[in-house]
Amino acid sequence: MDPITELEGLLLLAVLQLGADAYGVTIRDEVDRRGQRKLTLGTIYKTLDRLESRGLLAARQGEPTPERGGKAKRFYSVTSTGRRAIRASFRTIRRMAAGLDLGLDTP
Amino acid sequence: MRMLERLLSDDCGSGSALLGDLRESYHVELSRRGPIGAVLWFWTETLVALWHYGKPRHVLGSLFREDRMESFALDLRQGVRMLWRAPGFTSLVIVTLALAIGATAAIYSVVAPVLIRPLPYPSPDRIVLLNERDANNAPENLGFRTIADIRSETRTLASIAVYGGWSATIGDHGEPEQLLGQKVSWNYFDVLGIRMGLGRGFTPEDDRPGNNNVVVLSYGLWQRRFGGDSAVIGRTIRLDDKPFRIAAVLPRTFENVIFPDAQIWRVLGYAVTQPAACRTCRHLNAVGRLRDGVSPAQAAAELNGISTRLARAFPDAYPTPGMFVDRLQHRVTESMRPALLAILSAAVLVLLIAAANVVNLQLARAIRRDSEFVIRIALGAGRSRLAQQLFAESLIVAGLAGVVGLILARVAVPYLVTRLPADLPRLSAIRVDGGAVAVIGAIVLSLAVIVGIAPVVVRRTRDVFTGALRGAGRLGDASTLRARRLIVISEVALALVLLSGAGLVARSIVRLLGVDTGFDPQHVLTLRLQSSGASYQADSSVFGYHDRVLAAVSRIPGVIQAGVANQLPLTGDLDTYGVSTPDGSLAKPALNPYADRYSVDGEFMRAMSIRVIAGRPFDRDDTGDSSRSVIVSLSLAERLWPGENAIGKHVTMGNATVRTVIGVAKDVRHHGLDTQTGLQFYLPERSWDSADNWAALVVRTDGNPAALADAVRTAVVAVDPSQPVARPESMQGIIRASTAQRQLALTLFAAFAALALVLAAAGIYGVLAGSVAERTREIGLRTALGATPRDVLLLVVRAGVAMALVGIAVGLGATALLTRYIHALLFGIPDTDALTLGAAAGLLLLTAVLACVLPALRAIRIDPMSAMRAE
Repeated sequence: MDPITELEGLLLLAVLQLGADAYGVTIRDEVDRRGQRKLTLGTIYKTLDRLESRGLLAARQGEPTPERGGKAKRFYSVTSTGRRAIRASFRTIRRMAAGLDLGLDTP
Repeated sequence: MRMLERLLSDDCGSGSALLGDLRESYHVELSRRGPIGAVLWFWTETLVALWHYGKPRHVLGSLFREDRMESFALDLRQGVRMLWRAPGFTSLVIVTLALAIGATAAIYSVVAPVLIRPLPYPSPDRIVLLNERDANNAPENLGFRTIADIRSETRTLASIAVYGGWSATIGDHGEPEQLLGQKVSWNYFDVLGIRMGLGRGFTPEDDRPGNNNVVVLSYGLWQRRFGGDSAVIGRTIRLDDKPFRIAAVLPRTFENVIFPDAQIWRVLGYAVTQPAACRTCRHLNAVGRLRDGVSPAQAAAELNGISTRLARAFPDAYPTPGMFVDRLQHRVTESMRPALLAILSAAVLVLLIAAANVVNLQLARAIRRDSEFVIRIALGAGRSRLAQQLFAESLIVAGLAGVVGLILARVAVPYLVTRLPADLPRLSAIRVDGGAVAVIGAIVLSLAVIVGIAPVVVRRTRDVFTGALRGAGRLGDASTLRARRLIVISEVALALVLLSGAGLVARSIVRLLGVDTGFDPQHVLTLRLQSSGASYQADSSVFGYHDRVLAAVSRIPGVIQAGVANQLPLTGDLDTYGVSTPDGSLAKPALNPYADRYSVDGEFMRAMSIRVIAGRPFDRDDTGDSSRSVIVSLSLAERLWPGENAIGKHVTMGNATVRTVIGVAKDVRHHGLDTQTGLQFYLPERSWDSADNWAALVVRTDGNPAALADAVRTAVVAVDPSQPVARPESMQGIIRASTAQRQLALTLFAAFAALALVLAAAGIYGVLAGSVAERTREIGLRTALGATPRDVLLLVVRAGVAMALVGIAVGLGATALLTRYIHALLFGIPDTDALTLGAAAGLLLLTAVLACVLPALRAIRIDPMSAMRAE
């Protein structure tokens, strides 16, 4: 399995954090709030599509609402492959950082 | 949106979800950023989405198919050749468009920092100014105690900083110099979001009584006076003969929009226990930063609540509870907004007229190219193909005009900046930047479309054929002539709008300068005095300095009278005090009038010719510090004692001292030629609580005041060379400067109106010349049948005047609708002043008649024989 990029990791974690309410707008706000990173919806969807085609995310269609111009929300959830990819990414970082004093423990 | 939908949603699934998300977020952004911000946000998001997500190659491909690109390149080459062959036409069009584009871009550059660009701070829309509410429901300064209470109670404001005016004389590192600055709470720059360029800035420890001899320098001051030496941090300098430690230097990019002239900042160092920090000591200003997501209205609602509670606890201190919370951007720019909007609209009108003119020329030229077009149609070119070729040509012309226009704007803007009123907010931020280039680009593209496509839209293919078949003699067809007449009529109408605008502003300025100011500005010279430093700690030394200056100036030949006062009218000086009557003649003491204080020495009132209309002027006995004499203005007297004789009445100003009215003076227009408050009081400066370290010297001369400026200055400097002397101005110059905003509007309106007039005349000329050439045969026939030259002349002039009259009628209607937008610039005349509009219409009609002369003469000279032979 190919390793995931940082952006992909951010989105996967955001989807996990949001649970059942993970769709474009909430994912963007979550990354902004926790990750302090401003992303455009286009960037997010491009990445979500890639993650979905790689089987790391699963999507399901919600109900259309008038405030969204009659468009349905697309809810995402992380697959077990997705969880494995996140773990692998973390492990890689930890191995790379082992023994270095980066001040990671002091906030 | 529709296009976006097509591009995204055909790929079922996440494309449609993305659209929904965009819609959903748009509503949130709308409330957060306002309509313009939300639309900008939407388009940025959309472009990114299209780039990433849609199929960019697909989209661009459909717009620029390869074969089409190739033919367009061909068209461009062909266009260059065509235009090269008609150098007269080409240069005329380029000059016309370049002037209009240059004017629009220059004006855009001037107004952008005020009207369009956000203030140069992080999240500028969250920076607000706070004010208390005064008896007239106007914004009022705050006392320190009030700010302290708001600070501890507010939930809507993340931080609040305090500031006030300050100035000091710097003695070391060169000549003594008066530095303008601000005294600010330690967090002033944090609230604005500015980091120091050098050093650490103020700390909370600095902001305490006795600890506060700490300053921050502007980048300019640091460069100019300290040679940009980075070792100045921590060094001690002497200001007003007291030691101050330099804590930091601001970055070069810092722009202090609150007080653009400030060069130095000291920390305020107040504590709530100090007398100057009291609730009614309203001499401070407050700037705050809203918490994320809080609107100014929400903050105002909360602060109103706090203010109401304070008013209940301290009823004497808050007669009219309430607070104002305004965005800094709004407050900084509101005074100039009407003038700038009017000027920008005028520039856009000129651009429209220029575009109309070029369309007109293009139509005339298209007719002459009929045979060329017919051949191309015969060879299989469709309307859109012809339109593409014409678009290519007009793109070249408009592009060249855009380049020339950009150069014109680059040349004009620095010149314009020197002519702008010095108090224009964000003057230093004016430049021709990327925004201006983008505006030019947009104008060029739309001009290319309009000018290029017009002939295709206006003319039917049938006309092109008949035109071509009739041959070169044929110069117009019905549909084209009708379109050209309509264009000329709209040009005339637009020109009339501009002319009327210029006329209305001009008449307003004349009215303003004719206003009775209450004093006689002629032959009066003014000069700013200062007395600061260790030798002027005692009030008596300041008064002594004024006396010595007056004595020295009076000895200069040509000086009739000289006086000193703490402030001057119409200069923006603002020193007002609440006035009340100890015997309680005012029904509502809480609504005390505020009046301008003039603390005077010498013959100030005589030098200014402020007439005492009842009672007596000050005399020698009034000058002592025990004097309790005061002179009030007529309006103030009527406000305090309506219908009574004011002489001998008792009154208090700002403090408890009871004074006796000895005279009533004419009202002075202190706050502006167009504001009629006229509440003033005059008292001998020694009888006021404290001396004013800043003062104005006023000298009445027997001739041109400018001629005596040097002599007066030299005499003042000789009295004490350590004290700075600034700004010698004639009082008439001050009055003129107070109309600077309108003068600027007038200059630009007049320039634009002149350009519009020339363009409209050119339009009329073009249509008539075309129609005379077209009707050569008809006119020849008429002459042969006995028409006199007078008949022929009338025939042409009538056609021209008819167009002008219709245009004027439309223009008058448009003017009547539009002048209310320049209402703020007008004074003393109705928005639709009949005299001005009539004069503008007359001038336009005269111009139209002049534009008829050449075509009419040509019509008269038509020889019937050769005209008949021609076909």
